[in-house]
Amino acid sequence: MIDSILLVDDESLFHLVFEDACSLLDISLTLECLDSSDEAVKIFEDMYKTGKPRPECVFVDLNIIGSSFDGIELIRKVTEMGNGMVIGIISSSDEPEEQEKAKAAGAQFWIIKSDEIEPRLEDFKKDFPKYKDYTGQFKIYK
Amino acid sequence: MKVDKSTRDLLLDIQKSKKIVLEGNILKVIEVDPSDVEFSKYIKESLDKDKETRRRRLDITKQVQTQNKDLLASQVENERINEELKETLEVVELSNKDLLASQIENERINEELKTALETAELAKKFAEDAKDAALDDLEIVQKKSQFELMGTIVKVALYVIMGVGVTTTLMYAIALLSGADTQIIGSTWSNMFGILLTNAFSIVGTIMGVKYASEKKE
Repeated sequence: MIDSILLVDDESLFHLVFEDACSLLDISLTLECLDSSDEAVKIFEDMYKTGKPRPECVFVDLNIIGSSFDGIELIRKVTEMGNGMVIGIISSSDEPEEQEKAKAAGAQFWIIKSDEIEPRLEDFKKDFPKYKDYTGQFKIYK
Repeated sequence: MKVDKSTRDLLLDIQKSKKIVLEGNILKVIEVDPSDVEFSKYIKESLDKDKETRRRRLDITKQVQTQNKDLLASQVENERINEELKETLEVVELSNKDLLASQIENERINEELKTALETAELAKKFAEDAKDAALDDLEIVQKKSQFELMGTIVKVALYVIMGVGVTTTLMYAIALLSGADTQIIGSTWSNMFGILLTNAFSIVGTIMGVKYASEKKE
């Protein structure tokens, strides 16, 4: 089970879906949701400065409406701050070009959002230990 | 996380009296003594209830999410249709403006044509007047020529008549003065004189007749 998860997504309804799915699948005990990449960067900067505990895994939406930059840019910024977190994209987009960009920015996985998100999260849960020790390859969960 | 006996009893009591149980992920971290059947059952029931609640909420949220997506798609479609309508309206307005401009241009051309027609009619009238004036002048010139010709004819005829008369009279006078026989020349002179007078009046009559006829024709 993942200790703590941070979700950055502008869609509030998906926060609820993700929270319930994670709880039902016993993926995580604690989950925090943000709806802006700007807010996420501030929180990460604060965490790195003050040494506050960071989430074990971060899920980032690709297009975060109302934010200064997209999910790939957020991953790049967070990766530049330091490592120690599993980070990836969760998006309804399935563009290979974007997936390559995300991989280059430091994303370890890409989960495609759909009505049936649970089977993909279950697969991700199985692969999580590999991501945590950086042995897992970039994977797309379709 | 272990729960002490007082907390355990309190939780079970609340369940019995108020039918309220623990919810959420805290249930997953509570360690239960397997020998405590009652509390194990409490935790299991609470977990099952929590899962059932979450499952129901998840289904409803997904349903709302789908409806929301449909609504968003409808909104996008509505915006597209509105945009199309706006563009069509703009095209219609532009066409109306073009039509109005064409109408104004047509009116201007009609006005120009009207003016040109009036100018042409005026020019035609001037031309007709000029033609009439030219015809009048021509007629006057023709009449003048005719009168001059008639005058010349009259003069020549009178000169001829007078010449013939004078000549014959002189010959008759010479014959009388020289004592020659005047019987033949005398009758000839009187005949000649009569004929000349007759012809002279005939010429004058003819000329007057022609003049009268030409004036009546006008």
